[in-house]
Amino acid sequence: MIVEIDKNLCTGCRECAEVCPAYAIVGEQGEPQTIDESRCVRCGQCVQKCKSYVSVLTHGKDAYERVKKERHIPDCVQEPLFAAHAVCNVDKVKAALADKKKFTIVQCAPAVRVAIAEEFGADLGSLTPGRLSAALHALGFDRVYDTNFPADVTIMEEGTELVKRITEGGVLPMFTSCCPAWVKFLENNYPELKDHLSTAKSPQQIGGAIFKTYGAQLEGKSGSDIYSVSVMPCTCKEFECGRPEMKDSGYQDVDVAITTRDLAWLIRDMGINWDSLDEMDFDQPLGLYTGAGTIFGVTGGVMEAAIRTGYELMTGKPIPNVEVTAVRGTEGFRTSTLKVGDMNLKVGVVTGLKNVIPVLEAVKNGTLDLHFIEVMTCPEGCVSGGGQPKMLMDTDQADAYAARRAALFAHDRELPYRKSHENPAVKKIYDEFLEEPNSHIAHHLLHTTYCMK
Amino acid sequence: MNYFVKGNPDLCIGCRTCMIGCVVAHEGKRIFEVDPDSYDFNPRLHVVRTVRLSVPVQCKHCENPACMAVCPVGAISQKDHCVVIDENKCMGCKSCMDACPFGAINMTEKKGYVQADGTLKKTANKCDLCYGLPGGPACVRVCPTEALTLITEEDLETAMERKRAEAARNTYRETHPQE
Amino acid sequence: MKKELGCFVVGDSTKCTGCKACELACFTVHNRESNHVGKTVGTVTVPVVPRLFLTKFEDGCMPIQCKHCEDAPCLNACTKGAISRVDHQVIVDAEKCIGCKDCMQACPFGAIALLPYAKNGKLVAQPMAEEPKVFASKCDLCAGIEGGPACVRVCPHQALRLVDPEAEREEKNIKAAEALLLTKNWR
Repeated sequence: MIVEIDKNLCTGCRECAEVCPAYAIVGEQGEPQTIDESRCVRCGQCVQKCKSYVSVLTHGKDAYERVKKERHIPDCVQEPLFAAHAVCNVDKVKAALADKKKFTIVQCAPAVRVAIAEEFGADLGSLTPGRLSAALHALGFDRVYDTNFPADVTIMEEGTELVKRITEGGVLPMFTSCCPAWVKFLENNYPELKDHLSTAKSPQQIGGAIFKTYGAQLEGKSGSDIYSVSVMPCTCKEFECGRPEMKDSGYQDVDVAITTRDLAWLIRDMGINWDSLDEMDFDQPLGLYTGAGTIFGVTGGVMEAAIRTGYELMTGKPIPNVEVTAVRGTEGFRTSTLKVGDMNLKVGVVTGLKNVIPVLEAVKNGTLDLHFIEVMTCPEGCVSGGGQPKMLMDTDQADAYAARRAALFAHDRELPYRKSHENPAVKKIYDEFLEEPNSHIAHHLLHTTYCMK
Repeated sequence: MNYFVKGNPDLCIGCRTCMIGCVVAHEGKRIFEVDPDSYDFNPRLHVVRTVRLSVPVQCKHCENPACMAVCPVGAISQKDHCVVIDENKCMGCKSCMDACPFGAINMTEKKGYVQADGTLKKTANKCDLCYGLPGGPACVRVCPTEALTLITEEDLETAMERKRAEAARNTYRETHPQE
Repeated sequence: MKKELGCFVVGDSTKCTGCKACELACFTVHNRESNHVGKTVGTVTVPVVPRLFLTKFEDGCMPIQCKHCEDAPCLNACTKGAISRVDHQVIVDAEKCIGCKDCMQACPFGAIALLPYAKNGKLVAQPMAEEPKVFASKCDLCAGIEGGPACVRVCPHQALRLVDPEAEREEKNIKAAEALLLTKNWR
């Protein structure tokens, strides 16, 4: 199981049950809880919430080392371990890095670069893409690419798909599909609405498919030589990469996903000193990204990135103001009408999965008049994901989320390219490989279907 | 049922003679005639003065004392219609002080009773109805306006019987008006 | 009126869910400087040592912690003089503590636990023994820590409250006095 509650450590407080958006945690108050796998969406908010730690007083002197071994956590780790926890795949990554026959490619999500440094004592929301890249190079990855690049590609695919649905009368509203916990929730509870999901894969999966095809070609290698790792703020990404249909490259597109916290453990385990790292860039061409790709990590970011490109796709003119502040914010469900040429584009943003239920009910009733809706499971988007550095005190949570969001927007402002379609690496991959958005090859590699059995 | 002393806010003039009387009775000294440093001023009742009233407040010798229930060392007990604290058992944890809804318990020092670091112990202190002292509650005796009364079990029962009889009479009169 | 008595924190078992956010917060604020603990779990390199202890009983659960007694049995029991009164609160000096266990035996509440002692991000070793040094861990009312008792601040259900016994006593006295207006005609 990807997310689990250790019965020996659980006090039965049910604070996790209160934050679970899928009502998947069951048990009596005061008794150890269990996760109902059929309802769980693997979002990891329970992991972020749980405060019941392995205690020398309650569980005895030997408990900590035993739990650490059970969970395959690196030996150097000394931080508290909790009842609700996510699977640790650090061992798999270490084995791949040590295997000379494997060409290892790593990608990391936007939200990782504004949080990883917190694990080394830096201020909340410290923006450290340079050190992140340096750490990944020091770990020995053969190519250090970045999820923000496939995020830009996602915008090309999804933006084109949206324009098509609007102009050709396709299924509307269209929902984003980059959040795997949201996709699972819809598949579990509203499978009849699956055609509303964008067919575009998530940036992680688009990255995976590209790395083992085009990426392999660039290295003069075959897809079978590549071991593809992703570093994510999300516990559900490991579930997503293991979905049986995610093999369009001919191999499992992403071999393993680890979390931001796992990466900190791996860095320490390999003896790398975070503070003494010199900044490095991500590798080219598949590590070059725009501000639009980087804001995927905040709620409303995917929507804003899509509008920056969609506006130009629909009107042929660049958007007057690249910052679409109308879709920013943290309210659970917010809508906005944007003037795009002659058209009123009606969009919605949902953050916090519990807030999507009334929206889905309205779609079922046919009462929701929107073209495009972004849905994120976690409270403020991926910056608040289940795999992000966990606060010792919940009173710091609001500050952490706000600082991480602000850092991503600041990063967007300082980047030379801020719109996905202006990314030279994006233009290059379409010229050389994908032909055009929604092309036959793009459909084969970068699009998917839902509710597979 | 326990006895208790009760103040009447209509009669109380806020002079605090009751507090002094309490100290004199428990110290056993004529406090105005001796060195002030030779005795402890720990009154077991406290005169409350606000804009609206003045009246002393003290232990009500509850039938289910909240203080007795929380004391971890069994220093509080009921005997002879009175709730008493054994200050030799008390270690000053303040559980009783926190539990009492009336604020009737305070922590006070006694000269010569010290802790291991040389500082004075503080232990729980409250009205004990002048238990074991001649003449009964001193505060009742010394109050110049007779604002304080000792209410015994008999006093309370008599009052309850009178009130019930009057209530019955009045109910009867609703349907049988007097000519 | 001059402050004489030590304040203390007390739990409410009707509100407590037993989550241990209080224990984790207690450890965090006490180890920021001494053990370089930051805001995230990943910055912790020493065992979590709380100074209040979640306790389950038949009718619920709540944390138990020191009441800063005015005639503190722990202070009286400590032969090393490691426990003293500082600003009305009962404080343990961990450096002086030899782990003799007298204080935890003396405390009728069980508010003291002997737990591993760490400095500078590492457990403190002792010569001639495999076990690290231990110290008497008990609530110090977050003395010297900004923001006051952390446990009270983080509890998701406000199940912990800071008690100022003298201020509360005075308030209760006033309420009791006003109630006497209602029982004047007791006869």
